[in-house]
Amino acid sequence: MINDLLIVVVIAQTLTAATPLLLAGCGELVAERGGVLNIGIEGLMLTGCIAAFAVTAITGNSWLGLLVAMGAAMVLGAGFALMAITARADQIVAGMALNLVAVGVSGTVWRALQSHGVTELPASAGFSRGWFGWSGWSSFNDLPVIGPLFFDLYGLSIATAGLLLLTWWVLRRTRIGIVIQAIGELPDAAAAAGESVHRWRWGVVLFAAACAGAAGAFLSIMRTHAFVPEMTGGKGFVVLALVMFGRWRISWLIAGCLLFGLADSVQQQLQSLPGSRALPYQFFQMLPYVVALVALAGLSRSAPGPAALGKPWPVSR
Amino acid sequence: MILKWAPMSEAIIAVGAATLALALVVGGLAIAGFSPWSVIAVGWAGIAGSPLRLAICAQEAIPLLMCGLAATLALRSGVLNIGLEGQYLLGAVAAVAVLTLGPVGSCLPWLALIAGGLAGALWCAVAVGLERGRGVPLVLSTILLNVIAIHVVGVCVQGPLHDPATAAPQSAMVPDGSRMPLLFAGTPLHVGFLVAVMLAVALWLMQRRTALGFELEVIGLNPLAARFAGIPVGRRELTAALGSGALAGIAGAMQVAGVTWFLSSDVRSYGYAGIAVALLGRLHPLGVIPAAFFFSGLDLGARQLERRLDIPHDLGDVTKGLALAAVLVAGALSRRLGSSRPGTP
Repeated sequence: MINDLLIVVVIAQTLTAATPLLLAGCGELVAERGGVLNIGIEGLMLTGCIAAFAVTAITGNSWLGLLVAMGAAMVLGAGFALMAITARADQIVAGMALNLVAVGVSGTVWRALQSHGVTELPASAGFSRGWFGWSGWSSFNDLPVIGPLFFDLYGLSIATAGLLLLTWWVLRRTRIGIVIQAIGELPDAAAAAGESVHRWRWGVVLFAAACAGAAGAFLSIMRTHAFVPEMTGGKGFVVLALVMFGRWRISWLIAGCLLFGLADSVQQQLQSLPGSRALPYQFFQMLPYVVALVALAGLSRSAPGPAALGKPWPVSR
Repeated sequence: MILKWAPMSEAIIAVGAATLALALVVGGLAIAGFSPWSVIAVGWAGIAGSPLRLAICAQEAIPLLMCGLAATLALRSGVLNIGLEGQYLLGAVAAVAVLTLGPVGSCLPWLALIAGGLAGALWCAVAVGLERGRGVPLVLSTILLNVIAIHVVGVCVQGPLHDPATAAPQSAMVPDGSRMPLLFAGTPLHVGFLVAVMLAVALWLMQRRTALGFELEVIGLNPLAARFAGIPVGRRELTAALGSGALAGIAGAMQVAGVTWFLSSDVRSYGYAGIAVALLGRLHPLGVIPAAFFFSGLDLGARQLERRLDIPHDLGDVTKGLALAAVLVAGALSRRLGSSRPGTP
């Protein structure tokens, strides 16, 4: 069967591994184009993980879980925006505070769930493969090649593809895109043109938070049906690296995420090789991060990024 | 000194932020039905209920203090070294290598500290090299190196440093003769505490009294002005980066030589916490000491609350995050009012 070929399996794994990175990366890219560097993406993803897991486990409704994950991340994102935009505090420190709070909150909720005996999703809850589990498509899943690589993907992977396309179009072709560009490159000019820099920056930060929350939900109620403390394992930080690797362009971001997803998929395959027992499994887990670092180093240095990235506005007192 | 500090207002900001965060969390617990007084009493008993508990609190503060000093040195000079987490881990790996593979002896822990410092500086040098040579921002490379460092620990404790006596991914125990000496008999507090406090004072004197400290300060405030003043900015920044990497590495080495006595794949790192401690200490080497005690006290108090009142200890992390957020906002506001030092985040 052609669908069992290694290359098909690896590509399918790559698409799945890249989905949370693409989703969170899409939001963070928009935020950074708008001049806000949020290193709290890791914490927002973790918030999405626990919120989606908790709501889905309690209510049994996966859609509600996904929505609450996005909402909870947006609440924390609003806290970040309050610090970094409204109070004009240092964005990197605000992001670190966000990460600390998110680790604490997710751990607190997880322990509270455990003490009430909620440790796993009900069997019927959580999204399964194949377009949000809509059974009308299930007969397409066995089609050669496009079955596993298109119809049998998680619904959020397909939605992410749509979101990326939409974001690309908005950034490239609409007034909204121009304003976001302006508040990230030259906020003074945007303000002079009558745009509210703070309001737009709040908008991009909340958008990024919603994306990160959904990416977290992908990890906890789609790809696995479980929550593990600190289960994001640095993926939020990788997203930051990938946005920079992608030079703040959607097309390059997609390339970077797929490369990282491929490295992740290849390392999973390597681990299952018979001779791989000779090496500790952490060696293989390390590989995608080394690839990311080497890829960053391989870039030419001419990628300055948005001019006002990471700078509070207005600059004067 | 030309550079005006306002230590009093800085201290007020930090203490106020810590108090506000504590009040918020205790208030939240009060809404959840826990009496604030019993929460405070139980938490305090967990921190200072006995001399032994106080000693444990000081012991827990050591790695936080060391990483806090590392972050202070880097951030004050404008070097965004987010990689303390990984540098700490590499320091711990190097120290365990020295302590378990080397001979047994009372000078061994000190050798381990040196090895740890070198390893931490080396891990930081990788990031600096990538920035200088390939234009990779320090923030990104250090973040990735942090993740890689965790896996390096995993590879080491299953490979070259693995204890053949067990199947678990962990190193052999450090022999009794090679451990850090204790400060007081009967408590777990080791002499690393004195070393850390002395390093804090040394760093403070370096910043206040030496040309190097002055130059680093100027670079942190305005690199362009520093360059015009003839300060070799690149070389000084390298010094600050490697110094902070070394301090973080020593922190990791101290922890394995004095507290855990072995290394396993789920080792805890204090790098990110150290950055938060430094910021709460308002990037003042002496302010970092109480900030480190605040964090270790939160950990101990929260664990006591979990044991006695069944309150999740993760609320300690929430308190830390809130304190950091509060100090950040207060700093930004007071800067706008003109009473705070401009360089402090």
